[in-house]
Amino acid sequence: MQKSLQDNLFSDLQTLLGERARDGDFELGLYGKDGSVLEGRPSIVCLPQSTSEVQEIVKICRRYDTPFLARGSGTGLAGGAVPIGEPVIIATAKMNKILEVDLDNRIAWVEPGVLNLDLSNELLPLGFHFAPDPSSQQVCSIGGNVANNSGGPHCLAYGVTSAHIAALEVVLPDGQIAQFGDLTADGAGYDLRGLFVGSEGTMGITTRIAVRLTQNPPEVRTLLLDFADVRDGAAAVSAIIAAGLIPAALEMMDKRAIEIVEAFVNAGYPTEADAVLLVELDGLPGGVEYGVELVRSVATRHHVGNVRVAADEKERALLWKGRKNAFGAVARIKPDYYLHDTVVPRGKLVEVLEKVYRIADAHDLIAINVFHAGDGNLHPILAFDSSEKGVLERVHAAGRAIVTASIEAGGVLSGEHGIGLEKRDYMGMLFSAHDMATQDLVREAFDPDGFANPLKVLPTGSRCSDSFGQHVPDGAWV
Amino acid sequence: MPEEISPEVLAFATEIGSSGLVTVAGGRTQWTVGGSPLEGVREVTAPSGIWAYEPEEMTVRCGAGTTLQELSAALSKYGQMVPFDLSPSATVGGALAVGRSGYRRLRYGHIRDFVLQVRHIDHKGQVVSAGGPTVKNVSGYDLCRLMVGSLGKLGCLAEVTLRCLPIPQTSKWLTGRQDPFDVFAKLYRPSAILWDGDQVWVCLEGVSSDVEAQSDLLDLEETAVPPRLPDRGRMSLAPKALKTFDRPSGNWVAEVGVGVVHMEQPNADPAISNINLSLMRELENRLDPGGRFNPGRKVLSE
Amino acid sequence: MKKTPFDLAIPVEDISSCVSCGLCLPHCPTYRATQEESASPRGRIALMRQAQRDSSIDDAFVGFMDSCIQCRGCETACPAAVPFGSMMEKTREALATQTSYQPRWRRFGYSFLGKPRLLRLGSIGLAVLQRLRMVPRRLPLPKLPFVQKALIDSGSDVWLYTGCIMDAWMRETHLSAQRVIESTGAGVKFPLKGASCCGALHVHAGLAPEARALAKKTMASFPGEAPILVDSAGCGAQLKAYGELVGTEEAEVFSRRVMDVHEWLAERLEQLPTTQEPRPKVVVQDPCHLRHVQKAHESVHQVLEQYVDLIHLNDDGLCCGAGGAYATFHPEVAKEVRERKLSLIRSVEAEEVASANPGCLLHLQAGGVRVRHPLEIIDGLLTRES
Repeated sequence: MQKSLQDNLFSDLQTLLGERARDGDFELGLYGKDGSVLEGRPSIVCLPQSTSEVQEIVKICRRYDTPFLARGSGTGLAGGAVPIGEPVIIATAKMNKILEVDLDNRIAWVEPGVLNLDLSNELLPLGFHFAPDPSSQQVCSIGGNVANNSGGPHCLAYGVTSAHIAALEVVLPDGQIAQFGDLTADGAGYDLRGLFVGSEGTMGITTRIAVRLTQNPPEVRTLLLDFADVRDGAAAVSAIIAAGLIPAALEMMDKRAIEIVEAFVNAGYPTEADAVLLVELDGLPGGVEYGVELVRSVATRHHVGNVRVAADEKERALLWKGRKNAFGAVARIKPDYYLHDTVVPRGKLVEVLEKVYRIADAHDLIAINVFHAGDGNLHPILAFDSSEKGVLERVHAAGRAIVTASIEAGGVLSGEHGIGLEKRDYMGMLFSAHDMATQDLVREAFDPDGFANPLKVLPTGSRCSDSFGQHVPDGAWV
Repeated sequence: MPEEISPEVLAFATEIGSSGLVTVAGGRTQWTVGGSPLEGVREVTAPSGIWAYEPEEMTVRCGAGTTLQELSAALSKYGQMVPFDLSPSATVGGALAVGRSGYRRLRYGHIRDFVLQVRHIDHKGQVVSAGGPTVKNVSGYDLCRLMVGSLGKLGCLAEVTLRCLPIPQTSKWLTGRQDPFDVFAKLYRPSAILWDGDQVWVCLEGVSSDVEAQSDLLDLEETAVPPRLPDRGRMSLAPKALKTFDRPSGNWVAEVGVGVVHMEQPNADPAISNINLSLMRELENRLDPGGRFNPGRKVLSE
Repeated sequence: MKKTPFDLAIPVEDISSCVSCGLCLPHCPTYRATQEESASPRGRIALMRQAQRDSSIDDAFVGFMDSCIQCRGCETACPAAVPFGSMMEKTREALATQTSYQPRWRRFGYSFLGKPRLLRLGSIGLAVLQRLRMVPRRLPLPKLPFVQKALIDSGSDVWLYTGCIMDAWMRETHLSAQRVIESTGAGVKFPLKGASCCGALHVHAGLAPEARALAKKTMASFPGEAPILVDSAGCGAQLKAYGELVGTEEAEVFSRRVMDVHEWLAERLEQLPTTQEPRPKVVVQDPCHLRHVQKAHESVHQVLEQYVDLIHLNDDGLCCGAGGAYATFHPEVAKEVRERKLSLIRSVEAEEVASANPGCLLHLQAGGVRVRHPLEIIDGLLTRES
């Protein structure tokens, strides 16, 4: 951007936001990254506190022909919040109030910066929670969950974010404020709400969200099953579901993951096992009891070692702590990691897992697997040390091979992380050019000029009005 | 490479072609929702048949013209279901195009949340795929959600992949006179609470000990069948609004906790804000610029 | 902003161990107060990385580093075991050495802590001003005594560390600790002349050489092999880190002798006298340097649970904002951080708060809740019995 133009843009934003508009060198660097390994750089960072401030920022950006990008907690793993083309960052973290809890309608109105787990903790005494629970639950924001249609272990039983959003207030890319969806049963017209959820900030910025509240289950049981052979574990996953049970969560960890996680939490994970399954059953006591016995008997048929049932809430929390912190714990073996997110049919889990190990070996990388087995959502982690020469090319190549293997097995590109920047250029593996052109037609109805989070989700070329530069920037893999 | 498209879908695309008005007929069970189809328009029906059903994946792929009866028959062999609760002669595509959930939505959610993948034929007569075949998928924009409730105005549904659920071990209806909102507050995830202003019907599902324990919380008698739902009119309210709403004349049955009211009296569609209306019109113009699909029926009133 | 040269040398394996997952963010008191990346551990590490790469910094960088409370709650939350505390200490030390980060007046202030007699004199002066109502009430000061009760050795089984400000202002706590220790049958010995400040505040401020000098004085005043018990979480954490700070075998040996007084008591629960009902309801605040650094907070719980109905706060041990000298230099942030803790405390039904760190205790007290050291609470109950 031209220097004088940038100065004017900044001064207008400063007039609006005061010290909550930032352009310091160090601070801009901080907002160039999210939880992925990708990196870009914004031109300015804005920290609004209200819908009207977000609206004004968008309008100012439009006046200066500058793209913008909404950011929540910055924990996304697909680079969805990584700024490309020097956009203005609109960080919604300060908009973090729970505005209203409406038990009659079983919803809560929240601002986008409310943290997922903070909301559920706040609702706990009322007997409700917000069902989507990504691994980053303690830090990810509800706004980010909406943008990415986030999942989490319990989505196996309760569905992903989309099913839990009743309505959204949105600042559209032209600066108008709209509400998509409402508290009524069906809403009116086309489902703009459903379309907006998962659109990764390319259709506007959500500033108020009505989330559905889910009743806390009266009974919860968490089981840890260990298997001497990862194949038995994976087969047990399919068998549990085929037996007609939908656990609240069904998670799997391979040997290396067990070792790393155990070193961190000391939860008593069996480090000699080849794989463990973490199974959670919830609901009314009869159904839970029935489920526990069913899991036991199915697992026995698949040569389970031990079946450990968490004795109390403390043990249960400990078992989950390991699972939820697994990705970060990887840094104990290598300084960098690349986390993939693909989905394959449950029946193909073993086949794809074995391919993942082979791919990692072939590229001289370490693969660690911790994932939502119940819905076939694989999360292979490639651990590496970026200071090794040429390692990034290998990581990149292995990642592509893993995605290819998943899609060949009848899977999809992403279960919950979204497409962002990371998988943008893989979209063609799953969709035809015409499929993507149709998606782009729909996106353009909201943002014809491509100002909202430009260059994300769809590969360049599938959009007609590509005004902000080229590919993933140099150094994006650092 | 993207998955291959089945010959039935390709044939349907050819049949729709790239010009001329087209009306897609399903089971004609909700034929006049959004207005009666324009007469004299070429009528097509989507292909039918269960094309891929893997019980251990709990997903089923079928032609959009498949009837719910056929779908249920295939799924129930393996103890599974898709809880649409509509007329058995309705088609899967028709049910989704209309986008009205059945009476067990309270527990199972909106029917759109059962849709994993949709293939539709666009105004150029080309196949468009959206979503993915797996239980969890966030690859790209969610055109599936957009198609549900679109009355086929944005494209003709050709093939859908749905998520299935196990059929509950026990299913029980109770009825009597008890405050429906009290009932709602007492129960853990009931399947349905219906109320006609006087009598309340409750559907409980699960393992039998749980169903018994839950029904013990209520002061209701067991009954064999749910009430008949009036189907000429339908109001969509917030769940809370049922407590105080202006009761319609004639028979009506409300879905407590959901907000739908089934009525004898037809009623006007709720208003849509101008901003939303212009976005929706923009979507119509972009996806069916010639207004080829389902003339006469409207999602957006004039 | 003007850049100045800066030489930061954090080992690469430390600085690259952060994968920027962000799990630390909600456990960082300053991020919680501001929701700004620059006030988060992840952000601060990224800033250090940039400073190290560019070999230059600006005033904004100094401000971001200075805003850290050094509670080390992020270390507990970090699944990758990033050594944030030591990285921050290295950065502060580099700032103190290479920039005007610690101006002369502050260094002078810190030097007071190592001079017990001056500190005592100053405290008497403050006590006078307090009586004349010339000290603002919002300052986190206890009621300062004119005359101090004497500390009298009762044996030589254990040492009881006394420290600097705590000894000048809160000697009653040491006396309570002594009585509780004695109730198990052990004799207490107080440090020899020359003992002084542990140096924790100096380390936080980046004044490592000063801290090392204090460490040497302190080590010399606890001869022998008897355990050194500490009733201040912040001091205990520092004494346990002398091995690292001083880097000698002697310091390692010394650090291994140091225990939080509750750790020592928790090993002797059967020897502790019992009390009659009723048991008061007490909410426990885990000082960061006990929970996140020493990881010894559960021993406080164990000891307290012998005497009171203990209520825990559901905040994963989020910092209260005291942070040694932090509340003095950053009153606004400290207050905002404290507000979160206070609202949690007010949401539970308890008669008082137990805090095993004098800094937290005074900071919370200034927020308007009744706070006492766990051993003062227990001493009070035991005295009631006799």
